Amino acid sequence: MIYKHGVLVVGAGLAGMRAAIEAHNQGVDVAIVSKVYPVRSHSNAAQGGINAALGEGDTWESHGYDTVKGSDYLGDQDAIEILAREAPAAVLELEHWGVNFSRDEAGHLGTRNFGGASQARTFFVADITGQALLQVMFEQLVRVGVRMYNEWFVTSLIEDGGVVRGIVGMDIRSGQLHAIQADAVVLATGGMGRVFEPSTNALINTGDGMAIAYRAGARLMDMEMMQYHPTTLKGSGALLTEGARGEGAYLLNSEGDRFMKTYAPNKLELASRDVVSRAEQTEINEGRGIDNCVLLDCRHLGKDLIMRKLGQIHELALELAGVDIVERPVPVRPGFHYPMGGIKTDVDGKTTLEGLYAAGECACVSIHGGNRLGANSLLDTVIFGRRAGAAASARSRTAGSGAAEGSRLAEVALQQETDRLRALLDRPYVGELAAKVRWDMGVNMVKYCGVFRDEAGLTEMGNLLHSLEDRATRVHVGDKGRVFNTNLTSVLELQFMLDLARAVQLTALTRTESRGAHTRTDYPERDDEHWLRHIQLQYASEGPEIHYTPVTITRWEPQVRSY
Amino acid sequence: MTTYAFYPGCVAKGGAPELYQSMVAVGEKLGFSLSELTGAACTGAGVISERDPLAGDVVNTRTFAMAEQLGHPIMTICSTCTGVMAQVASRVNHDADYRAEVNQYLSDEGLEYRGTTEVKHLLWALVEDYGLDRLKDLVVRPLSGVRLAPFYGCYIVRPSKAVDPLTAGREGYLEQVIATLGADPVEEYRGKDKCCGFPLLETNRKSSLALTGKRLDEARDVSADALVTPCPLCHLNLDGQQPDTPTASTQDSMPILHLPQAIGLAIGIAPERLGLARHIIDTKGLIRKLAVAG
Amino acid sequence: MDVQLKVRRQNPEAEGEPYWKEYALAVPDHFTLLDALIQLREEVDETLSLRCSCRSHICGSCGMRVNGHANLACKTKLSDLHTDTVTVEPMGNMPVIKDLVVDLEPFWKKLYSIDPYLQPAGEVPEREYVVPADSMLHLDGVVNCIMCGACVSDCESLSVNPLFIGPTAFAKEYRFVMDPRDAADTQRLMQMNGPGGVWDCTHCFQCVEVCPKDVAPMDRIMAMRKMLVDDGVTEKHNGARRQKAFADLVGRYGRLDESRYLMKSVSMGELAGYAKVGLRSAMRGKLPPLVPHRIPEAARIRRIFERTRSTHRRRFKLHQQAQEGSRV
Repeated sequence: MIYKHGVLVVGAGLAGMRAAIEAHNQGVDVAIVSKVYPVRSHSNAAQGGINAALGEGDTWESHGYDTVKGSDYLGDQDAIEILAREAPAAVLELEHWGVNFSRDEAGHLGTRNFGGASQARTFFVADITGQALLQVMFEQLVRVGVRMYNEWFVTSLIEDGGVVRGIVGMDIRSGQLHAIQADAVVLATGGMGRVFEPSTNALINTGDGMAIAYRAGARLMDMEMMQYHPTTLKGSGALLTEGARGEGAYLLNSEGDRFMKTYAPNKLELASRDVVSRAEQTEINEGRGIDNCVLLDCRHLGKDLIMRKLGQIHELALELAGVDIVERPVPVRPGFHYPMGGIKTDVDGKTTLEGLYAAGECACVSIHGGNRLGANSLLDTVIFGRRAGAAASARSRTAGSGAAEGSRLAEVALQQETDRLRALLDRPYVGELAAKVRWDMGVNMVKYCGVFRDEAGLTEMGNLLHSLEDRATRVHVGDKGRVFNTNLTSVLELQFMLDLARAVQLTALTRTESRGAHTRTDYPERDDEHWLRHIQLQYASEGPEIHYTPVTITRWEPQVRSY
Repeated sequence: MTTYAFYPGCVAKGGAPELYQSMVAVGEKLGFSLSELTGAACTGAGVISERDPLAGDVVNTRTFAMAEQLGHPIMTICSTCTGVMAQVASRVNHDADYRAEVNQYLSDEGLEYRGTTEVKHLLWALVEDYGLDRLKDLVVRPLSGVRLAPFYGCYIVRPSKAVDPLTAGREGYLEQVIATLGADPVEEYRGKDKCCGFPLLETNRKSSLALTGKRLDEARDVSADALVTPCPLCHLNLDGQQPDTPTASTQDSMPILHLPQAIGLAIGIAPERLGLARHIIDTKGLIRKLAVAG
Repeated sequence: MDVQLKVRRQNPEAEGEPYWKEYALAVPDHFTLLDALIQLREEVDETLSLRCSCRSHICGSCGMRVNGHANLACKTKLSDLHTDTVTVEPMGNMPVIKDLVVDLEPFWKKLYSIDPYLQPAGEVPEREYVVPADSMLHLDGVVNCIMCGACVSDCESLSVNPLFIGPTAFAKEYRFVMDPRDAADTQRLMQMNGPGGVWDCTHCFQCVEVCPKDVAPMDRIMAMRKMLVDDGVTEKHNGARRQKAFADLVGRYGRLDESRYLMKSVSMGELAGYAKVGLRSAMRGKLPPLVPHRIPEAARIRRIFERTRSTHRRRFKLHQQAQEGSRV
C-alpha cells in the first residue's frame, strides 16, 4: 500500500506527539508512525522532572546560562535562548493539559533541585515525571484525533535529490511493507542507547531515526558527546533519578567519604552529570570503589520522603538489586544514558535535507552541547517537538503538488526495501547472530567510548567496528514468518546501530580535547582555540565526511567551568 | 485447646442455614470451643465500605474489640467475612493514628480496640491450630474415590497483601484438607480462585450466571464430582443459582459442599445432621458415591 | 540457576492450534523472566515473539501470564517464583496475534471510549491551576498506571461481558473524576452508570492483585460507585439500591437479611426472575426467618453509620468552587 499525508511524524514519544499535535492544530493532515504504542515510548523513563524558569526570582537568562555552562560552551546559544525563554509556557501548557505536577502548600507548582542548576527550577510528578507527561501527551493526541500507525517499523526514508518525500515502513503485525508519502517528515525516534552495553535505555532505543536520516544524507552533529548518567544500578543498569540527589541523597566511596567535595566543592552531588560521572569513575579507577561502583545513600531522607517522592526508584532498587534504599545505600555507577548529538537541525527542527525535520533526543539543535543538564531533555522534546511540527506544517501548506513524482518514488522505494528485506530473510545461516554482534559492539563502545577515552582505545574501536560491520553482513534471520517477526527487526536495528557506533567512534577520535562528556585522557584540557566548534558527519559510501561548524555564541562567553 | 470468638456471618444464619448447622456439628466432634459473638454486626461484605469506607472499618473494628475483650482470635466460616475483616485489620492493626480515629466511634459503647485481634477462617484454624494430623485421626469414612475440587473464591485469597501476608504459606490449605479427608483434591482445577459471580447477582444477573456457569464447566472439564467451598456466598451462586446457569440444561449437576459438610461426612456425622438435604443441587448421588449414607 | 520455561506458542501463519513448548535454560540468579525470555529468543529460538522494551516496569510492554496470573515479565524475578517449571502464556481476555503477543486494539478502544483527556471549564488561567497539593499527589497513584493490560487480562467480568469497560479505563476515568481541573465529572459518572460501567465489576480483586504498579483499579471503581450514589447520579440502579438496602438493613438489624435485601435491591420487574430461586430455596428450607434476627443493641450500628457519614467530604472541584464564588 501507499498512503499519503501532509506531515508524517515518526516516533510517538513526547517530541513526536507534540509535533503531531502542533501539525493538527495548524490544520494539516498529519499522521504519526511508531514502532511501539505511544505510551510505551522511552519518554516515560525520564524520572526527575522538567526545567523552567517559572518560579519567583528565577529568570530565563539564569536557566540559559546554566544550560550553556552545563554544555561546556558547546551548546548553540541562540537555540538555548529559545529553550529557556519558551520553557515557562511549555510547562504551563502541560499543566493545563492535565499533568498533575507536584504542588507547594499554597497549591502552586512546586520545584525540586537538580544537577547543574543555580536555582530549584525542576517541576515534577514524584519520580514518574516522564511517564506523567507521556500519558497526558497521549491523551491530547487522542483528543485531537491524530491518525496513528502503531507498531510500524520504519526501514528507510524516501529521498530524491536531497528532498525527503516519505518513508517505507513495515506493519509489524502483518509483516507487510508499505510506503507513506508526505510533504514533510518529522523524525522523533528518540535515543540510541542500545549502541552501548549496558545502558539505561529501553530495548527500542536503537537510533533508527538518526540512522535512516544519516543514510539518506542528513548530517549528524556532536556525536562524540555521549552522556553517562552518574547513578545507574549495578547489574541491570537501570536508571535511578538525579532527583534522589536533588532531594539530598549522598554519594559515598568505599571509605565512606562524600567524595564529590573534592571534585565540585560548591555543588557537590548536584554538579553536572559529566562532572559527577567522571568523579565516580576516578574514585573507582583509583581503588575507592566497591565492586566497580560507588554508593548512593538515601537513608537520611527518611522513609516518608522516599516513598512519596522517590517511590519508583525505591521499587527498582528493591526489585532489581535487592536493596531497600530506606535501609541501605545502593551501589551505582556511571552508565550510558543519552546522546547529546544527533541529527543536525536548526531551531525549527529543519535538518540538512529538504522536507526532513527532527526533534527530541534523535536531534541535535544543539542545546545540550557537550553535556545535557538533567530535566532539560523533557523540555527539549516539548519545545522543539512543537517547533518542528510547526515548521513541517508550514512546508506542507506551501509544498507544490509533486504528488505524481512522489508516488513514483514511493513505488520504487517500496520495491527496493521489499527486495532488501527478502534478501535478508534469505541469508543462509553461518553461525552469526545479530544479538552477539550487538553485544560485542555495546560492551566495546562502553569500554572505548566511555567516560574516559584516548587515541589508542578509539583506534582500537575503529578496527573492531570494521570486523563488526563485516560480521553484520552475515547475520541471519532465523524467523522466516511475517507476523510479528522481532527477529527481522532486530537485524535491521543492528545495521542502524553500527552506523551510529561508527559516528561516535570517529568524532570522538577527531576531537582532540576534553569538553563536557567527552574526556580524552591524552588531551585532558578544554581547547577553545581549536575546538569551540561542532563536528558534523555526512554519510558517503567511501566513508563518512567530516565537517566543522562554529558554535553560536550570543551572550555567554566561554569561561572556566567549575561546580 | 484454642477457644475462638466465633463469627458465623449472616448467610450461615440466613440463606445457608446448613452451614451453621454443619459447623456446630463438626465443631462438637473436633472439640472446638466456640464462643459466638452474638453482638457483632455484619461485616458489610464490601458493600458497606463501598458506600462509606469509614463505616465499614468502624463496624468491623467493633467486632475486633469485642473479641479482644474475650481474649480470643476470631474464627469465621465465611471467606467474604474473613476477607473484609482482614482488609480492615490491615488498616487498623498497624496504624495507631487511624485506629484512634476509628475508636472514637466506639467509645460510647465503652469499646476500644488495641490492634491485637487475629482473624482466622475455619480453614486456617484447622491447618494452623488444630492440625491436619489430628483431623486425619478423626476420619472414619475416608472420602476416597471422589474428586472434590476446591473452590476458594476471591475474598480469602485476594488482595494477598491484606488477606494473607504469608500467601505462600497458606496456598493449598483447602487441597490439603480435602486430601486429609481422603478425597482427590483435583489440583488441576483452574477455577478454584476465580469469581463465582455472586457480587454481580443484582447488578448484572447475566454476567453473574455466566461466571457461575464457567466455574462449574471448568469443574466438569476436570471431572470433579463436587466442589468444596469455604464461602457461603459462593455457595449461594454455585448451588442456588446453578439451575439458571447457561449450560445447566445440558450438563450434569454439580453438588457444592460447604467446608464443614465435607469434613462432617468424613468424620462420621450423618448427612442429615449436616443439612445436606437443604441444597438446591441434590447431594444424594454424591452421598451414595461416598458410601457414607447410613 | 537452571530454569524450565513452559511457553504457550501460537503461530497464525502455520494456522496451528496453540501448543506448549518447554525450554531448559541456565541463567544467572538475578535474572528476571524477561531476561530469560530475551536470552531464549536471542540464543535458542529466534521465532519466539514477545513485546518488551524498558526492562524496568515503566513502559508496560511485557505483560503476560506467569504461572497463571498476569504480570510484567521484567518485574518477575525467577528466583522468587519457587516453581520448578515457569509457565508463560499470553495475557487473557485478548486475542493472540502470535506467541506472547496479544491484540491490544480492543484495549485501546475501551480507553478511548471514556474520553481520556482533561476537560476543564472556563478560561485557561495565565499561570497554573491553583489546586490543593494533596489533590495532585492523590492522582499519582493512578497516573502510575502504565497501561500494560495486566488487570484487563485477569478481569473476571470481562471474561463473560465484553461490554465491560474494564479496570484500566476505569482507573483512567477515576484520574479525571478526581482531578480538580476536570469539569466533566458528571458526564463521566453518568457514563460509568451505564452498560459496561462500574456496576458491572464483580469485585473479585484480580486487578488489584495483578497490577504491577499498585494502581488498585477495583478500589477506584468502588470509589466511583460511591460518587454515583453521593452525587445523586443514580438512584434507580440496582447497585445504588443495593448500597442503600445494605446500609438500611444492617443499620436496623445489625446483620443482613437476604430476602429483604434482595427485595430492596432489585426492581419490581426483575423480582419475578428471582421468584423461582426463592421458591426453590423455600422448598429446601433455606429461606431466612420471616422475622429477621436482630443483634442486641442494633441501634448502635445505625448510629455509627450516621456519624461516619457526616464526615463525608465531597471531592474538590475547581469549576464548582468557581460557581460557588469561593476561592481556593
